[in-house]
Amino acid sequence: MQMVNFDFKNEIIKEDFSLNYCYQCGTCSSICPVAFASEGEYNPRKIIEESLMGLKSLLIKEQKPNIWLCSTCQMCVEECPQEVFLTGIFESLKNKIVQTGEKYPEAFKVQAKAIIDNGVAISLSPPIIRRRKELKLPNVESADRIELKNLLKATNFEKKININGDR
Amino acid sequence: MTYKYFLGCVIPGRLPYLEASARKTFEKLGMKVGDQANYSCCPDPTGAGQLDHLTWLALGARNLCLFEESNSNILSLCSGCTETLKAVKYSLEKDNKLKEEINSKLNSIGKKYKGNVEVKHFAQVLYENIDSIKKKVKKPLKDLKVASHPGCHYLRPSEIMQWDDPLVPKTLDELIEAIGADPVDYSLKIDCCGNPVEKSNKDISLLMLENKLKSMKDAGTDCIACVCPACYQQFEFNQKEVNKNSNTNYNFPVFYITELIALAFGMNAEEIGLKYHRVKTDEILQKIS
Ligand code: SF4
Ligand code: SF4
Repeated sequence: MQMVNFDFKNEIIKEDFSLNYCYQCGTCSSICPVAFASEGEYNPRKIIEESLMGLKSLLIKEQKPNIWLCSTCQMCVEECPQEVFLTGIFESLKNKIVQTGEKYPEAFKVQAKAIIDNGVAISLSPPIIRRRKELKLPNVESADRIELKNLLKATNFEKKININGDR
Repeated sequence: MTYKYFLGCVIPGRLPYLEASARKTFEKLGMKVGDQANYSCCPDPTGAGQLDHLTWLALGARNLCLFEESNSNILSLCSGCTETLKAVKYSLEKDNKLKEEINSKLNSIGKKYKGNVEVKHFAQVLYENIDSIKKKVKKPLKDLKVASHPGCHYLRPSEIMQWDDPLVPKTLDELIEAIGADPVDYSLKIDCCGNPVEKSNKDISLLMLENKLKSMKDAGTDCIACVCPACYQQFEFNQKEVNKNSNTNYNFPVFYITELIALAFGMNAEEIGLKYHRVKTDEILQKIS
């Protein structure tokens, strides 16, 4: 039987106290569309259970269940009888995964890099610029790069998310 | 109340024809919506925030500041952007210490967030003008069966979004009725389209889409109506992938709700760039002509 790791549990609770209210009814998993499509491989109730037990290695290192599968559809948050803010808890767990240098899906890095480099997740390509002209749409003025760079520096974003994989 | 557009990244950068239909619809409704320069990625509520919540708040707050400085409210063309901007506003309103922390970051670029900006999803603004929409309809889309896909971030979390019923939404179907079409009731209406899961597992993302498509098909729909570019892309671009994986033959035309409204207002397919759709819309155009 696994022992509760109170230190890690408390670390999560510090981020979101509502974790404490979970009574493991399983409503979240029963309405979760990802749990349904993955035939239970993904299981939000289980992630909450592991959080209540503070099972750091399962949550952060092994990532079982794979927390990155959550679509953030917020159905569980809407339906949980105990008002546990599951997606908030999952977000802080994912932040911990990323910021302790553990692996996370490439697509998230690609998007973050685009934001760091261009301020937007998708830049305007020449064919799209032509299409905008055809449709008589105004130019899109991109965000001030220097301003964004300075703001991202203030939040320490690049370092935190280990974007260059040098940790 | 004056609005300016928050276009987000996906619509201007990939789906400009959806933007055209929205701009033309609001114009026709007699609403002047301005443009705002200098905003960044909202950032994506399913992306950047998952990596660092603080950065997500700071970038979101910077975007709010830009509109606040110009005394205008935000009319967002994307559900993801709407949720981010509303959630950032909500978080900073609820927690003064957090607001101070974010303002200390914003201080490095000479900005300060005060909290005087309203954020609205474009479909909310449309719904609030439903009576004038009804009056402006020239060509009711008679007998067209439309399955609305509200999508997650248009509705939930309801405590933050404060709009429509998160589990039994009705605003989009009422808009569909307002332009003379028939809203289709289908069992998985409030389910996620699967788009965000593509970042971590494409197969599961496609299965989620397939579940939705099947439910829509069973209910006998002619086409799909979306209010979010992420959902739009999932339906429009990935039906083919579902067909490849599962030996199905889904081929539903997918519309932004503003495209349907523009058509009902009497605009033609060319004006709003329907030719850019991947799933061809000809049959639908015939049906409503
Ligand atoms: S629905 Fe809420 S209370 Fe029930 S298991 Fe899930 S998180 Fe716990
Ligand atoms: S937010 Fe995530 S865990 Fe909750 S129901 Fe949606 S996919 Fe499942």
